[in-house]
Amino acid sequence: MWLMRRAGWAVLAGWLWVTLVPSLPARALNVPPLSGRVVDLAHVLPPATTTQLSETLQAHETKTSNQVAVLIVPSLEDEPLFDFSHRVATTWKLGAKGTDNGVLLLIAIKERTIRLEVGYGLEGVLTDARSAQIIRNDIAPKFRAGDVPGGVTAGVLAVLHTIEGTYQAPEPPPAFHSKGEVIANTIFAVILGLGIGLFFSRAHRVVGPVVGGGLSFLVAPWVVPALIAGAVSLVLISLMGGMGNAMGGGRRSRSGPFDDTWFSSRHGGWGSGGLGESFGGSGGFSGGGGDFGGGGASGDW
Amino acid sequence: MMSLARWMGANFMLAGLLALSGCGYNDLQGLDEDTKAAWSEVINQYQRRADLIPNLVNTVKGYAAHEKDTLEGVVQARAKATSVQVTPELLKDEAAFKRFQDAQQSLSSALGRLLALAENYPNLKADQGFRDLQSQLEGTENRITVARKRYIDKVAEFNKMVRYFPTSLTAKFLLHMDEKANFTVADEKAVAKPPEVKF
Repeated sequence: MWLMRRAGWAVLAGWLWVTLVPSLPARALNVPPLSGRVVDLAHVLPPATTTQLSETLQAHETKTSNQVAVLIVPSLEDEPLFDFSHRVATTWKLGAKGTDNGVLLLIAIKERTIRLEVGYGLEGVLTDARSAQIIRNDIAPKFRAGDVPGGVTAGVLAVLHTIEGTYQAPEPPPAFHSKGEVIANTIFAVILGLGIGLFFSRAHRVVGPVVGGGLSFLVAPWVVPALIAGAVSLVLISLMGGMGNAMGGGRRSRSGPFDDTWFSSRHGGWGSGGLGESFGGSGGFSGGGGDFGGGGASGDW
Repeated sequence: MMSLARWMGANFMLAGLLALSGCGYNDLQGLDEDTKAAWSEVINQYQRRADLIPNLVNTVKGYAAHEKDTLEGVVQARAKATSVQVTPELLKDEAAFKRFQDAQQSLSSALGRLLALAENYPNLKADQGFRDLQSQLEGTENRITVARKRYIDKVAEFNKMVRYFPTSLTAKFLLHMDEKANFTVADEKAVAKPPEVKF
Protein backbone atom coordinates (compact mmCIF):
# COMPACT_ATOMS: atom_id res chain seq x y z
CA MET A 1 0.00 0.00 0.00
CA TRP A 2 2.72 2.38 1.07
CA LEU A 3 4.83 1.37 -1.85
CA MET A 4 1.95 1.85 -4.23
CA ARG A 5 1.27 5.31 -2.90
CA ARG A 6 4.91 6.25 -3.29
CA ALA A 7 4.95 4.91 -6.82
CA GLY A 8 1.83 6.93 -7.55
CA TRP A 9 3.48 10.10 -6.38
CA ALA A 10 6.55 9.38 -8.43
CA VAL A 11 4.44 8.93 -11.56
CA LEU A 12 2.55 12.13 -10.81
CA ALA A 13 5.77 14.04 -10.24
CA GLY A 14 7.22 12.70 -13.45
CA TRP A 15 4.13 13.67 -15.35
CA LEU A 16 4.17 17.18 -13.92
CA TRP A 17 7.82 17.50 -14.82
CA VAL A 18 7.23 16.42 -18.39
CA THR A 19 4.18 18.60 -18.90
CA LEU A 20 5.22 21.72 -17.06
CA VAL A 21 8.91 22.10 -17.66
CA PRO A 22 8.95 22.44 -21.45
CA SER A 23 6.32 25.17 -21.21
CA LEU A 24 8.77 27.49 -19.48
CA PRO A 25 10.42 29.91 -21.87
CA ALA A 26 13.89 28.75 -22.68
CA ARG A 27 15.54 32.13 -22.34
CA ALA A 28 14.49 32.58 -18.73
CA LEU A 29 17.11 32.47 -16.05
CA ASN A 30 16.32 29.83 -13.47
CA VAL A 31 14.94 31.05 -10.20
CA PRO A 32 17.53 29.99 -7.65
CA PRO A 33 16.33 27.96 -4.68
CA LEU A 34 15.46 29.94 -1.59
CA SER A 35 18.32 28.65 0.53
CA GLY A 36 18.14 31.42 3.10
CA ARG A 37 17.22 35.03 3.63
CA VAL A 38 20.43 36.13 1.94
CA VAL A 39 21.23 34.25 -1.25
CA ASP A 40 24.60 35.39 -2.53
CA LEU A 41 25.26 33.54 -5.77
CA ALA A 42 27.93 36.01 -6.84
CA HIS A 43 29.95 35.46 -3.64
CA VAL A 44 30.45 39.12 -2.97
CA LEU A 45 29.45 39.12 0.69
CA PRO A 46 31.80 37.89 3.41
CA PRO A 47 30.21 35.09 5.48
CA ALA A 48 30.04 37.36 8.53
CA THR A 49 27.87 39.88 6.66
CA THR A 50 25.59 37.13 5.36
CA THR A 51 25.12 35.72 8.84
CA GLN A 52 24.52 39.09 10.38
CA LEU A 53 22.05 40.16 7.71
CA SER A 54 20.19 36.87 7.99
CA GLU A 55 19.88 37.29 11.73
CA THR A 56 18.68 40.88 11.38
CA LEU A 57 16.10 39.81 8.81
CA GLN A 58 14.94 36.90 10.91
CA ALA A 59 14.55 39.10 13.99
CA HIS A 60 12.60 41.57 11.89
CA GLU A 61 10.28 38.84 10.65
CA THR A 62 9.69 37.54 14.17
CA LYS A 63 8.72 41.00 15.28
CA THR A 64 6.71 42.21 12.29
CA SER A 65 6.00 39.16 10.10
CA ASN A 66 7.51 41.01 7.11
CA GLN A 67 9.67 38.73 5.00
CA VAL A 68 12.64 40.46 3.43
CA ALA A 69 15.18 38.57 1.33
CA VAL A 70 18.32 39.48 -0.57
CA LEU A 71 19.43 37.87 -3.83
CA ILE A 72 22.74 38.66 -5.49
CA VAL A 73 23.32 37.13 -8.92
CA PRO A 74 26.48 37.34 -11.01
CA SER A 75 24.50 38.16 -14.18
CA LEU A 76 20.95 38.46 -15.50
CA GLU A 77 21.95 36.74 -18.75
CA ASP A 78 20.04 39.24 -20.89
CA GLU A 79 16.75 38.87 -19.07
CA PRO A 80 15.15 42.23 -18.25
CA LEU A 81 15.76 43.14 -14.62
CA PHE A 82 12.11 43.55 -13.73
CA ASP A 83 11.04 40.26 -15.35
CA PHE A 84 13.60 38.30 -13.39
CA SER A 85 13.04 40.09 -10.14
CA HIS A 86 9.26 39.71 -10.30
CA ARG A 87 9.62 36.06 -11.20
CA VAL A 88 11.93 35.39 -8.27
CA ALA A 89 9.70 37.27 -5.85
CA THR A 90 6.53 35.47 -6.94
CA THR A 91 8.27 32.10 -6.99
CA TRP A 92 9.71 32.55 -3.52
CA LYS A 93 6.37 33.96 -2.35
CA LEU A 94 7.92 36.27 0.19
CA GLY A 95 5.55 37.71 2.72
CA ALA A 96 2.51 36.21 4.32
CA LYS A 97 -0.49 35.11 2.29
CA GLY A 98 -3.14 37.78 2.55
CA THR A 99 -0.91 40.56 3.85
CA ASP A 100 1.62 40.15 1.01
CA ASN A 101 4.31 41.81 3.10
CA GLY A 102 7.45 40.64 1.35
CA VAL A 103 10.38 42.56 -0.09
CA LEU A 104 13.13 41.32 -2.39
CA LEU A 105 16.38 43.18 -2.85
CA LEU A 106 17.95 41.94 -6.07
CA ILE A 107 21.44 42.88 -7.19
CA ALA A 108 22.96 41.88 -10.52
CA ILE A 109 26.72 42.36 -10.40
CA LYS A 110 27.60 42.27 -14.09
CA GLU A 111 24.77 44.58 -15.18
CA ARG A 112 25.39 46.80 -12.15
CA THR A 113 21.66 47.03 -11.52
CA ILE A 114 19.67 47.01 -8.32
CA ARG A 115 15.98 46.31 -7.84
CA LEU A 116 13.69 46.47 -4.86
CA GLU A 117 10.61 44.33 -5.45
CA VAL A 118 7.87 45.27 -3.03
CA GLY A 119 4.89 43.07 -2.15
CA TYR A 120 1.33 44.35 -2.50
CA GLY A 121 0.94 44.82 1.22
CA LEU A 122 3.96 47.08 1.62
CA GLU A 123 3.46 49.27 -1.46
CA GLY A 124 1.79 51.84 0.76
CA VAL A 125 4.84 52.48 2.94
CA LEU A 126 7.72 51.31 0.82
CA THR A 127 6.44 53.30 -2.15
CA ASP A 128 8.07 53.32 -5.54
CA ALA A 129 9.53 56.74 -4.77
CA ARG A 130 10.86 55.60 -1.39
CA SER A 131 12.34 52.46 -2.96
CA ALA A 132 14.09 54.56 -5.57
CA GLN A 133 15.46 56.83 -2.85
CA ILE A 134 16.85 53.86 -0.92
CA ILE A 135 18.57 52.58 -4.04
CA ARG A 136 19.86 56.02 -5.00
CA ASN A 137 20.90 57.29 -1.59
CA ASP A 138 21.73 54.25 0.52
CA ILE A 139 22.90 51.50 -1.80
CA ALA A 140 24.35 52.96 -5.01
CA PRO A 141 26.89 55.37 -3.42
CA LYS A 142 28.46 52.55 -1.38
CA PHE A 143 28.49 50.26 -4.42
CA ARG A 144 30.18 52.96 -6.45
CA ALA A 145 32.83 53.20 -3.75
CA GLY A 146 33.36 49.46 -4.05
CA ASP A 147 31.75 48.59 -0.73
CA VAL A 148 29.17 45.97 -1.75
CA PRO A 149 28.62 44.47 1.73
CA GLY A 150 28.16 47.98 3.16
CA GLY A 151 25.71 48.89 0.41
CA VAL A 152 23.61 45.75 0.88
CA THR A 153 23.53 46.25 4.64
CA ALA A 154 22.62 49.91 4.33
CA GLY A 155 19.88 49.06 1.83
CA VAL A 156 18.41 46.31 3.99
CA LEU A 157 18.45 48.51 7.09
CA ALA A 158 16.75 51.35 5.21
CA VAL A 159 14.07 48.94 3.97
CA LEU A 160 13.50 47.51 7.44
CA HIS A 161 13.36 50.97 8.93
CA THR A 162 10.77 52.03 6.36
CA ILE A 163 8.46 49.05 6.74
CA GLU A 164 8.82 48.70 10.49
CA GLY A 165 5.49 49.12 12.22
CA THR A 166 3.30 48.37 9.21
CA TYR A 167 2.42 44.91 10.39
CA GLN A 168 2.62 43.21 13.72
CA ALA A 169 3.55 39.59 14.01
CA PRO A 170 0.47 37.53 14.74
CA GLU A 171 -0.12 36.71 18.40
CA PRO A 172 2.01 33.75 19.45
CA PRO A 173 -0.07 30.60 19.93
CA PRO A 174 -1.52 30.40 23.45
CA ALA A 175 0.82 28.91 25.99
CA PHE A 176 0.43 25.22 26.63
CA HIS A 177 -1.87 24.36 29.47
CA SER A 178 -0.20 23.08 32.58
CA LYS A 179 0.21 19.33 32.76
CA GLY A 180 -2.24 19.00 35.62
CA GLU A 181 -4.91 20.83 33.66
CA VAL A 182 -4.49 18.55 30.66
CA ILE A 183 -4.66 15.43 32.81
CA ALA A 184 -7.73 16.67 34.68
CA ASN A 185 -9.51 17.52 31.42
CA THR A 186 -8.61 14.16 29.93
CA ILE A 187 -9.98 12.29 32.96
CA PHE A 188 -13.13 14.39 32.81
CA ALA A 189 -13.47 13.49 29.11
CA VAL A 190 -13.09 9.77 29.83
CA ILE A 191 -15.69 9.88 32.62
CA LEU A 192 -18.15 11.84 30.51
CA GLY A 193 -17.63 9.50 27.55
CA LEU A 194 -18.00 6.45 29.81
CA GLY A 195 -21.25 7.66 31.33
CA ILE A 196 -22.94 8.52 28.08
CA GLY A 197 -21.38 5.63 26.17
CA LEU A 198 -22.60 3.10 28.72
CA PHE A 199 -26.05 4.59 28.51
CA PHE A 200 -26.05 4.06 24.74
CA SER A 201 -24.44 0.64 24.92
CA ARG A 202 -27.61 -0.61 26.60
CA ALA A 203 -29.33 0.11 23.35
CA HIS A 204 -26.67 -1.13 20.97
CA ARG A 205 -23.39 -2.93 21.34
CA VAL A 206 -21.45 -0.99 18.74
CA VAL A 207 -23.09 2.40 18.98
CA GLY A 208 -22.37 2.72 22.72
CA PRO A 209 -18.60 2.41 22.62
CA VAL A 210 -18.37 4.49 19.49
CA VAL A 211 -20.45 7.33 20.95
CA GLY A 212 -18.58 7.19 24.26
CA GLY A 213 -15.17 6.98 22.67
CA GLY A 214 -15.98 9.71 20.19
CA LEU A 215 -17.26 11.98 22.91
CA SER A 216 -14.14 11.49 25.00
CA PHE A 217 -12.04 12.19 21.94
CA LEU A 218 -13.86 15.44 21.23
CA VAL A 219 -13.93 16.73 24.80
CA ALA A 220 -10.33 15.95 25.71
CA PRO A 221 -7.76 18.70 25.12
CA TRP A 222 -5.04 18.37 22.45
CA VAL A 223 -4.63 15.56 20.01
CA VAL A 224 -2.67 12.91 21.86
CA PRO A 225 -4.66 13.04 25.13
CA ALA A 226 -7.81 13.01 23.02
CA LEU A 227 -6.72 9.86 21.21
CA ILE A 228 -5.88 8.22 24.52
CA ALA A 229 -9.14 9.31 26.13
CA GLY A 230 -11.15 8.13 23.14
CA ALA A 231 -9.41 4.76 23.06
CA VAL A 232 -9.78 4.25 26.83
CA SER A 233 -13.49 5.02 26.78
CA LEU A 234 -14.03 2.87 23.74
CA VAL A 235 -12.31 -0.17 25.23
CA LEU A 236 -13.85 0.27 28.68
CA ILE A 237 -17.37 0.64 27.34
CA SER A 238 -16.94 -2.38 25.07
CA LEU A 239 -15.80 -4.46 28.04
CA MET A 240 -18.32 -3.13 30.51
CA GLY A 241 -21.18 -3.17 28.03
CA GLY A 242 -20.32 -6.71 27.10
CA MET A 243 -20.20 -7.71 30.75
CA GLY A 244 -23.53 -6.05 31.42
CA ASN A 245 -25.06 -7.83 28.48
CA ALA A 246 -23.58 -11.15 29.55
CA MET A 247 -24.93 -10.70 33.04
CA GLY A 248 -28.24 -9.57 31.72
CA GLY A 249 -28.62 -12.83 29.89
CA GLY A 250 -26.89 -11.85 26.63
CA ARG A 251 -29.61 -10.14 24.75
CA ARG A 252 -27.36 -9.91 21.76
CA SER A 253 -24.91 -12.74 21.76
CA ARG A 254 -23.32 -11.98 18.45
CA SER A 255 -19.72 -13.09 18.48
CA GLY A 256 -17.18 -10.44 19.41
CA PRO A 257 -14.49 -10.83 16.75
CA PHE A 258 -16.44 -8.76 14.26
CA ASP A 259 -16.37 -5.72 16.51
CA ASP A 260 -12.81 -6.30 17.56
CA THR A 261 -11.49 -6.40 14.07
CA TRP A 262 -13.53 -3.40 13.18
CA PHE A 263 -12.09 -1.37 16.01
CA SER A 264 -8.56 -2.58 15.60
CA SER A 265 -8.59 -1.77 11.93
CA ARG A 266 -9.71 1.73 12.83
CA HIS A 267 -6.79 2.07 15.17
CA GLY A 268 -4.51 0.64 12.54
CA GLY A 269 -5.70 3.35 10.23
CA TRP A 270 -4.74 6.03 12.68
CA GLY A 271 -1.37 4.53 13.43
CA SER A 272 -0.19 4.46 9.86
CA GLY A 273 -1.64 7.87 9.07
CA GLY A 274 0.46 10.86 8.27
CA LEU A 275 0.69 12.15 11.82
CA GLY A 276 4.43 11.65 11.96
CA GLU A 277 5.03 13.05 8.50
CA SER A 278 3.13 16.26 9.09
CA PHE A 279 5.52 17.19 11.86
CA GLY A 280 8.50 17.18 9.51
CA GLY A 281 10.72 20.04 10.55
CA SER A 282 11.24 22.68 7.85
CA GLY A 283 14.43 24.03 9.36
CA GLY A 284 15.18 26.52 6.59
CA PHE A 285 13.48 29.67 5.44
CA SER A 286 10.49 29.58 3.15
CA GLY A 287 8.11 32.14 1.71
CA GLY A 288 4.72 32.60 3.31
CA GLY A 289 2.63 32.88 0.13
CA GLY A 290 2.88 36.62 -0.48
CA ASP A 291 2.18 38.14 -3.88
CA PHE A 292 3.87 40.90 -5.86
CA GLY A 293 2.19 43.24 -8.29
CA GLY A 294 5.21 45.06 -9.68
CA GLY A 295 5.76 47.70 -7.02
CA GLY A 296 9.24 48.85 -6.12
CA ALA A 297 12.01 50.53 -8.05
CA SER A 298 15.10 49.85 -10.13
CA GLY A 299 18.42 51.60 -10.22
CA ASP A 300 22.05 51.16 -11.10
CA TRP A 301 25.49 52.15 -9.96
CA MET B 1 -50.05 17.52 -10.22
CA MET B 2 -48.31 14.71 -11.94
CA SER B 3 -46.85 17.04 -14.50
CA LEU B 4 -45.53 19.33 -11.80
CA ALA B 5 -43.74 16.44 -10.14
CA ARG B 6 -42.35 15.36 -13.46
CA TRP B 7 -41.26 18.90 -14.22
CA MET B 8 -39.46 19.18 -10.89
CA GLY B 9 -37.91 15.78 -11.41
CA ALA B 10 -36.59 16.87 -14.76
CA ASN B 11 -35.12 19.97 -13.21
CA PHE B 12 -33.43 17.98 -10.50
CA MET B 13 -32.02 15.66 -13.11
CA LEU B 14 -30.71 18.60 -15.07
CA ALA B 15 -29.13 20.11 -11.97
CA GLY B 16 -27.59 16.76 -11.11
CA LEU B 17 -26.20 16.39 -14.58
CA LEU B 18 -24.75 19.84 -14.49
CA ALA B 19 -23.12 19.16 -11.16
CA LEU B 20 -21.73 15.76 -12.05
CA SER B 21 -20.93 15.58 -15.70
CA GLY B 22 -17.99 17.95 -15.72
CA CYS B 23 -19.63 20.20 -18.22
CA GLY B 24 -17.64 23.05 -16.75
CA TYR B 25 -20.58 25.20 -15.74
CA ASN B 26 -19.00 26.30 -12.48
CA ASP B 27 -15.51 26.50 -13.93
CA LEU B 28 -16.72 28.74 -16.71
CA GLN B 29 -18.59 31.00 -14.33
CA GLY B 30 -15.56 31.16 -12.03
CA LEU B 31 -13.14 31.91 -14.84
CA ASP B 32 -15.49 34.55 -16.21
CA GLU B 33 -15.35 36.32 -12.86
CA ASP B 34 -11.57 35.85 -12.69
CA THR B 35 -11.04 37.44 -16.08
CA LYS B 36 -13.23 40.35 -15.08
CA ALA B 37 -11.23 40.81 -11.89
CA ALA B 38 -7.96 40.60 -13.81
CA TRP B 39 -9.28 43.14 -16.29
CA SER B 40 -10.27 45.50 -13.48
CA GLU B 41 -6.71 45.38 -12.26
CA VAL B 42 -5.44 46.27 -15.74
CA ILE B 43 -7.80 49.25 -15.88
CA ASN B 44 -6.86 50.20 -12.38
CA GLN B 45 -3.18 50.40 -13.22
CA TYR B 46 -3.75 52.30 -16.47
CA GLN B 47 -5.88 54.71 -14.49
CA ARG B 48 -3.11 55.09 -11.95
CA ARG B 49 -0.74 56.00 -14.72
CA ALA B 50 -3.19 58.54 -16.09
CA ASP B 51 -3.49 60.06 -12.62
CA LEU B 52 0.25 60.60 -12.39
CA ILE B 53 0.47 62.49 -15.66
CA PRO B 54 -0.91 65.95 -14.76
CA ASN B 55 1.65 66.22 -11.98
CA LEU B 56 4.43 65.08 -14.24
CA VAL B 57 3.48 67.53 -16.96
CA ASN B 58 3.41 70.40 -14.46
CA THR B 59 6.80 69.47 -13.07
CA VAL B 60 8.34 69.32 -16.51
CA LYS B 61 6.68 72.63 -17.43
CA GLY B 62 8.54 74.25 -14.54
CA TYR B 63 11.85 73.53 -16.24
CA ALA B 64 11.03 73.20 -19.91
CA ALA B 65 7.91 75.22 -20.60
CA HIS B 66 8.96 75.85 -24.19
CA GLU B 67 8.78 72.15 -25.13
CA LYS B 68 5.14 72.76 -25.97
CA ASP B 69 4.71 70.04 -28.58
CA THR B 70 5.81 67.19 -26.39
CA LEU B 71 3.84 68.43 -23.40
CA GLU B 72 0.72 68.94 -25.51
CA GLY B 73 1.18 65.49 -27.00
CA VAL B 74 1.12 63.88 -23.58
CA VAL B 75 -1.91 65.86 -22.43
CA GLN B 76 -3.84 64.94 -25.55
CA ALA B 77 -2.86 61.29 -25.48
CA ARG B 78 -3.96 61.14 -21.86
CA ALA B 79 -7.29 62.75 -22.65
CA LYS B 80 -7.84 60.25 -25.45
CA ALA B 81 -6.81 57.26 -23.36
CA THR B 82 -9.08 58.17 -20.47
CA SER B 83 -12.03 58.76 -22.78
CA VAL B 84 -12.13 55.19 -24.09
CA GLN B 85 -14.96 53.33 -22.41
CA VAL B 86 -13.84 50.30 -20.46
CA THR B 87 -16.94 48.32 -19.58
CA PRO B 88 -16.74 44.52 -19.26
CA GLU B 89 -18.54 44.34 -22.61
CA LEU B 90 -15.36 45.71 -24.11
CA LEU B 91 -13.77 42.32 -23.51
CA LYS B 92 -16.11 40.67 -26.01
CA ASP B 93 -15.67 43.38 -28.61
CA GLU B 94 -12.38 42.99 -30.44
CA ALA B 95 -12.61 46.38 -32.12
CA ALA B 96 -13.31 48.27 -28.91
CA PHE B 97 -10.56 46.36 -27.19
CA LYS B 98 -8.16 47.37 -29.93
CA ARG B 99 -9.18 51.02 -29.61
CA PHE B 100 -8.41 50.84 -25.92
CA GLN B 101 -5.04 49.24 -26.55
CA ASP B 102 -4.11 51.77 -29.21
CA ALA B 103 -5.05 54.71 -27.02
CA GLN B 104 -2.92 53.38 -24.16
CA GLN B 105 -0.12 52.60 -26.56
CA SER B 106 0.01 56.13 -27.93
CA LEU B 107 -0.01 57.47 -24.38
CA SER B 108 2.98 55.23 -23.66
CA SER B 109 4.94 56.63 -26.58
CA ALA B 110 4.01 60.22 -25.74
CA LEU B 111 5.24 59.60 -22.20
CA GLY B 112 8.40 58.05 -23.55
CA ARG B 113 9.10 61.20 -25.56
CA LEU B 114 8.49 63.37 -22.53
CA LEU B 115 10.90 61.39 -20.37
CA ALA B 116 13.53 61.26 -23.08
CA LEU B 117 13.30 65.04 -23.26
CA ALA B 118 14.11 65.24 -19.56
CA GLU B 119 17.60 64.01 -20.37
CA ASN B 120 18.37 67.45 -21.81
CA TYR B 121 17.50 69.28 -18.62
CA PRO B 122 19.92 68.46 -15.80
CA ASN B 123 18.01 70.66 -13.35
CA LEU B 124 14.82 68.80 -14.09
CA LYS B 125 16.55 65.46 -13.69
CA ALA B 126 17.90 66.53 -10.31
CA ASP B 127 14.49 67.73 -9.09
CA GLN B 128 13.33 65.54 -6.20
CA GLY B 129 9.69 65.79 -7.23
CA PHE B 130 10.50 64.76 -10.77
CA ARG B 131 12.60 61.84 -9.59
CA ASP B 132 9.79 60.60 -7.39
CA LEU B 133 7.30 60.93 -10.22
CA GLN B 134 9.66 59.11 -12.51
CA SER B 135 9.97 56.18 -10.13
CA GLN B 136 6.23 56.12 -9.58
CA LEU B 137 5.71 56.06 -13.30
CA GLU B 138 8.22 53.28 -13.73
CA GLY B 139 6.52 51.29 -10.96
CA THR B 140 3.17 51.83 -12.60
CA GLU B 141 4.48 50.61 -15.94
CA ASN B 142 5.69 47.49 -14.15
CA ARG B 143 2.33 47.04 -12.47
CA ILE B 144 0.64 47.37 -15.85
CA THR B 145 2.94 44.66 -17.18
CA VAL B 146 2.04 42.35 -14.30
CA ALA B 147 -1.68 43.09 -14.54
CA ARG B 148 -1.65 42.49 -18.29
CA LYS B 149 0.24 39.24 -17.91
CA ARG B 150 -2.25 38.00 -15.33
CA TYR B 151 -5.12 39.03 -17.56
CA ILE B 152 -3.54 37.29 -20.55
CA ASP B 153 -3.15 34.06 -18.56
CA LYS B 154 -6.71 34.15 -17.25
CA VAL B 155 -8.22 34.88 -20.64
CA ALA B 156 -6.19 32.09 -22.21
CA GLU B 157 -7.59 29.73 -19.59
CA PHE B 158 -11.11 31.02 -20.15
CA ASN B 159 -10.89 30.87 -23.92
CA LYS B 160 -9.63 27.31 -23.78
CA MET B 161 -12.67 26.26 -21.80
CA VAL B 162 -14.92 28.08 -24.24
CA ARG B 163 -13.40 26.16 -27.14
CA TYR B 164 -12.71 22.75 -25.64
CA PHE B 165 -15.30 20.03 -25.88
CA PRO B 166 -17.59 19.45 -23.98
CA THR B 167 -17.34 22.69 -22.05
CA SER B 168 -17.78 24.50 -25.36
CA LEU B 169 -21.40 23.30 -25.40
CA THR B 170 -22.06 24.72 -21.95
CA ALA B 171 -20.42 27.97 -22.90
CA LYS B 172 -22.32 28.30 -26.14
CA PHE B 173 -25.81 27.06 -25.45
CA LEU B 174 -26.27 27.47 -21.73
CA LEU B 175 -24.18 30.49 -20.78
CA HIS B 176 -23.88 32.20 -24.16
CA MET B 177 -20.27 33.01 -23.46
CA ASP B 178 -17.82 33.94 -26.17
CA GLU B 179 -14.08 34.07 -26.31
CA LYS B 180 -12.67 37.23 -24.79
CA ALA B 181 -10.26 39.59 -26.46
CA ASN B 182 -6.64 39.34 -25.40
CA PHE B 183 -3.62 41.54 -25.86
CA THR B 184 -2.06 40.86 -29.23
CA VAL B 185 1.41 39.57 -29.88
CA ALA B 186 2.50 42.67 -31.77
CA ASP B 187 1.49 44.68 -28.78
CA GLU B 188 3.29 42.27 -26.48
CA LYS B 189 6.50 42.87 -28.40
CA ALA B 190 6.16 46.58 -27.86
CA VAL B 191 5.64 45.94 -24.19
CA ALA B 192 8.50 43.47 -23.85
CA LYS B 193 10.85 46.13 -25.14
CA PRO B 194 12.49 47.76 -22.15
CA PRO B 195 10.29 50.72 -21.27
CA GLU B 196 11.53 54.06 -22.36
CA VAL B 197 11.21 55.18 -18.78
CA LYS B 198 14.94 54.94 -18.33
CA PHE B 199 17.25 56.81 -16.04
